[in-house]
Amino acid sequence: MTDTDWNDDGQLLEALRDTLTADQDMPRAFVDAGKAAFAWRTIDAELAALTYDSAWESLEPAPVRSAAESATLRALTFASEGWRIELELTPDGLLGQLDPPAAGEIVARTDADVLATARIDELGFFVLKPVPKVPYRLVCTPDDGPTILTGWVTP
Amino acid sequence: MRDDPTVVSLVSRAVDGDKGAWDELVERYAPLIWGIGRRYRLAPTDIDDVGQGVWLRLIEHLPSLREPAALPGWIATTAQRECFRLLRAASRVDPVDPAEQRDAVEPAVAEEEVLRFERRAIVRTAFGQLSPRCQLLLAMITKDPPAPYDEISKRLAMPVGSIGPNRARCLERLRRTPALAGLADERRR
Repeated sequence: MTDTDWNDDGQLLEALRDTLTADQDMPRAFVDAGKAAFAWRTIDAELAALTYDSAWESLEPAPVRSAAESATLRALTFASEGWRIELELTPDGLLGQLDPPAAGEIVARTDADVLATARIDELGFFVLKPVPKVPYRLVCTPDDGPTILTGWVTP
Repeated sequence: MRDDPTVVSLVSRAVDGDKGAWDELVERYAPLIWGIGRRYRLAPTDIDDVGQGVWLRLIEHLPSLREPAALPGWIATTAQRECFRLLRAASRVDPVDPAEQRDAVEPAVAEEEVLRFERRAIVRTAFGQLSPRCQLLLAMITKDPPAPYDEISKRLAMPVGSIGPNRARCLERLRRTPALAGLADERRR
């Protein structure tokens, strides 16, 4: 692959095809998200990735009851190497639990703004209000432990 | 390419908080991360997560980066780790056989992807140095599936019979661009 004979028309054309195809495959949004990540440079955090979203299951047909009847509109789980953050999005607020339980601070924020702040109790529970209306991430800082940053939550 | 002085300056400016320098680093290395995500057959939304993981780690890592020439290798290896982390989380079941655990970084894959990325960067620069007419002709020919000759003929107002010779001429120009000339000569010697 790396031993391209640039003097051969066929190989040169193939190298060009490979480059142009790869460039088209990558969305601009991917680059933009990378640029925006600079806003998080002051936060020294462990990253927690989304491992479960109840919205994945709502893609399946025939729900037993509609979302409107249910108190929990959506449930999400984020996990890093040592921590899990379980979230329930309800109309009144964002309920969550940090596992293993630890008291601390939790903040919902965008690249630019802090949307909501709450205290995490000793059992790891927290309630963030109001539920943000724009995409956000959670920055979770246990009193004795590393800062954890979740992936984006899109309401 | 390996000792690119612009990378050295971009890194030190980004460390000082220069957002423009950071943006340039992202423009430059995003395709490397995307390519590695693709290599592990991740869905686009998963590659987005891989990207965030790599960028946040890079921000942390920049101040201690002694040799900017090692940056592509560092990014490739970190992207690989992020891919494995996601694959592990997605399987939701811990592998029973430890031998099946796919968390060992594969240096050969990282190296191969860095070379592929560097080759693409050279070809992209060379392509950008061509005339718009040559760019359009070559883009239509390399499309998958390739554009039919009568369509190329119509778009470029070029008789079907001259597409072949023009293609050869444009490829020769591509080879002669400053970006590629050195490499092509190296092979010829």
